[in-house]
Amino acid sequence: MPTMNSEKTNRSQKRAGLSSDLETLRPKLLDVLGTLEANPEWYASVFFERKANQTFMANLKQTQLSDSVSAGAVLRIYDGYTLFEQATDQTDPASLLKEAKDLVARVKKSTPSGEKRIYKAPTWAERLATKTGKLDPELLEQIPAGASAKTPVHFGIAFREDPTAIPTDVRIGKLKETLERVKRLAPKASLTEKDLSYIAARQAIAVEESIFVDRESNLSQTLYRVSLTLILMSGAERAAARFGGLGGAEAAEVKDEKIVEMLEDLRCLKEAERLKPGKYTLLLGPTLSGVLAHEAFGHSQEADTCARGRSKAWELHKEGSKVGNDLATILNSPAVYKNATEEAAAWGSYFFDEEGWLAQEQVILDKGVLKPPMTNLTSALRLGIPRSSNGKRESWQNGVYTRQTNTYFSAGDKTFDELLGMIDYGFVAMNAAGGMEDPKGMGIQVGVQYLKEVKDGKYTGKVFKGPAGGDIQITGYVPDVLNSIVAKSKIEADKSGADTVKHPFNDCGGCGKYHKEIVYAGCGGPHMLLKDQILG
Amino acid sequence: MHWTLDQLKQELRSRKDVKGWIVTQEDLHRRERYFLLDQAKLATDQDREVHAQSVEVRLFVNIGKPGRQGEISKKIVHEKPIGPQLDSAIAAAKETDHEAWDLPTEFPKDVPDVKAADPKMVEDLNGAMESVTREIADAVATPRKTTFNSSELFMSVHERELHLSNGLVNRSKQTRMYVEAAYSFAKDGRSDEYLHTAWTVSPKDVSVTKLFAEASERAAISLDTKKPNTGKFPVLLDADVLAKLFNSTTFLLSSKSEYLDLPHKKPGDDFIPGASGDLITLTLDPSLEFGAVTTGIGDQGIVQKPLTLVEKNKVVTTAIDAQHGQYLKKKAGTYRGNVVLGGGQMDHNQLVQAAPKVLEILQFSGLFIQETSGTFSSEIRLARLHDHTNGTVSIIKGGSLSGSISENFKNAKFSKNRVKRSEFDYGVATGYYGPEFALLNDVSVVG
Repeated sequence: MPTMNSEKTNRSQKRAGLSSDLETLRPKLLDVLGTLEANPEWYASVFFERKANQTFMANLKQTQLSDSVSAGAVLRIYDGYTLFEQATDQTDPASLLKEAKDLVARVKKSTPSGEKRIYKAPTWAERLATKTGKLDPELLEQIPAGASAKTPVHFGIAFREDPTAIPTDVRIGKLKETLERVKRLAPKASLTEKDLSYIAARQAIAVEESIFVDRESNLSQTLYRVSLTLILMSGAERAAARFGGLGGAEAAEVKDEKIVEMLEDLRCLKEAERLKPGKYTLLLGPTLSGVLAHEAFGHSQEADTCARGRSKAWELHKEGSKVGNDLATILNSPAVYKNATEEAAAWGSYFFDEEGWLAQEQVILDKGVLKPPMTNLTSALRLGIPRSSNGKRESWQNGVYTRQTNTYFSAGDKTFDELLGMIDYGFVAMNAAGGMEDPKGMGIQVGVQYLKEVKDGKYTGKVFKGPAGGDIQITGYVPDVLNSIVAKSKIEADKSGADTVKHPFNDCGGCGKYHKEIVYAGCGGPHMLLKDQILG
Repeated sequence: MHWTLDQLKQELRSRKDVKGWIVTQEDLHRRERYFLLDQAKLATDQDREVHAQSVEVRLFVNIGKPGRQGEISKKIVHEKPIGPQLDSAIAAAKETDHEAWDLPTEFPKDVPDVKAADPKMVEDLNGAMESVTREIADAVATPRKTTFNSSELFMSVHERELHLSNGLVNRSKQTRMYVEAAYSFAKDGRSDEYLHTAWTVSPKDVSVTKLFAEASERAAISLDTKKPNTGKFPVLLDADVLAKLFNSTTFLLSSKSEYLDLPHKKPGDDFIPGASGDLITLTLDPSLEFGAVTTGIGDQGIVQKPLTLVEKNKVVTTAIDAQHGQYLKKKAGTYRGNVVLGGGQMDHNQLVQAAPKVLEILQFSGLFIQETSGTFSSEIRLARLHDHTNGTVSIIKGGSLSGSISENFKNAKFSKNRVKRSEFDYGVATGYYGPEFALLNDVSVVG
């Protein structure tokens, strides 16, 4: 792990600082800008990223460790038509200068096509005078007063226990103890140790640092991404979950009750019957309501998909059509710095995206009406809509697309028990098994590991897998699905009072785009009750 | 660069606690273009070039316990001196605990010369990029009743060096190309699209013209659709799906799964219990010309040659690498390769005619496969229902399908025509050469 600087926050937590070697690199990135701005109409920027990941794993037979780092710079020129990038891991000044010259030559050689759309970087005054709502205080408090183009502005994730400071032997010892905990807790889920044919615990800690510079901004951020993944198997049945967030080591602590839940999932899968395909009332847990939000009007509200003519949402937004009922409100936000009642930030959070745009909450579907989509730089320019902080890439080696961060339904007003009591006959679904969007055709697919049967507001004790013994798929036409939402829970669904926190829980997830590039994403929301869902 | 591979190897040799190591270096050169329409003309939204190098060391250390060793996989960076990077790696590896194993002492002879890289891409990646870009421009310029939406073109060259502590040095190259075409069709205020994608090792294995034409044709039929009926039906799957399904089965045919007590098959087991259709013969073939997993040698220094894992539905052996072979006291051999399946007797038309109603899947939305149970499911993005009871062919969209390899392939019929498929989705390479189609029975569908 790199040498880190850190400072205290006003919440008596610490914040992750920028590594000292990157502080040294930072001015060198600024030096390249002049070369990239070979034409006064061009917009140039430089993005540097370093992701250092350590993964510790223990299963019943061995312990393992991997330690990887990937670092590189992306030099960019937008000439009014095309965004050109030159990405390299050679970040010494001479190499950067050579890459910059090569990029300028490539841009000069290109033949422009289409409409010219000039872009000018916003000043700090323009950034802070955002018309789309206030920036989160967690972000604002890290911007020095009177910040100007040359002011290095650093954002660091808040943490309590430094996740980079834990020795390897302690980490591995803790993983082994987790395996023992699983075995010890098995009887609480009516399983024996012998039922568990495979147990694995994997702890990951990533230090993600980035620097973004253009003529008006000089930004850096450091995120600590910590997680604990548990995989439990009994024969061919598998229960897996990832616990974590952005913050300190505390973000990956797992309580016994969570392990017991997983063990119960495993037992349920062993005992599950096969579902008769059909239409049913369905109560989704937070993770699944998040997957629904992500696949429904998450992907289709990505402006690059709209700019390609590949999303129906853009047409429906311009028409002002209603595509869901009043309970259908979906938000996307990279600024979820406190994930529901947890201490850490949600999995898809950051302070600025990979194009230097500050994180901000955005309503993308408001009571069934589509709002302007999420954007990256070129798609915002092509569609003539405001930028948002959704320009993301898998790594510095990959291109930027409009990507979701944390996507979630807004909270409702019911407790979980109240929602359960509204079911005459139906199922509760808590565990996600993937999903898929269909932005133009407006279809949707949400995978569920298994269903718990409910009759007259009570669990029957029966559990169902898919018709062929695998996952169950929820499918349908997106507006039909969003019109079928009957009720939503509060964020703190197990309590009767008003919510005490701002954001619904977002689970740790990943998002693939166009089948080939994956980024971190949070999916969440309240529990949601839907009628007439097609399950098969 | 502060150090060379030779210096890294020298440093590794000098560490007395290190009992073995595998060094892998990969140099990547990738070009990318993202196309769309702007003012009704083909325009480039993004144009990218990437140069990257990575060096990874997997090293094994003595930990002072009989029959055990420590291990770490670590990326070594050029910006820092080797010594401290190895010091921390060795110290961390000593905290881990594996059953001990050794890299092969026998030096591999006659490493097969395989074709894993397209010579034109290796020689001139930018020239190859321009050439395929012209093909895309021509395809987009072709008049159609649909609308071109977008395309992406990625081409890359990966140069690898493998250095083992037993003295083995192997250098190889691989090329990759990804191309996609999205077309939409609008009628009466409604619209839908079709996205067609293809990965390949060599551009000559993919016809850009055909890919774009097929994307347009399928977009054109995507509006007059209906949902499937709910029930169990004969279903025709294509090679794109078969490639995913059968690559997932290699999980059950690996020595690693056996060692870790994960679900696995053993020699003598039925691959599909009670199979009575076309019996499956599955070979792991690392020699397939321009396959995604074509290689002469594995990362543990073992020569990789075609190996039949399943012969007429009987598992005859499993994929055994050096590490798990030593744990299980089995001879190591081929453990990497493209999945090659034997063909059947029928052509596409015969398969379509083989039942009164056949649902032919043109595209799944998101096919999710549980490799431990062999179950799979997906929404149906586009399909044709061949109904011979009334002589109609209707287009299906929506609903979902749930299947199980062990149940639904029992009576499967495969096409005699075989095709190649390559995939590098999310960076994971899988290769396939096998039947272009398979007809399954009694597949659960909900509409």
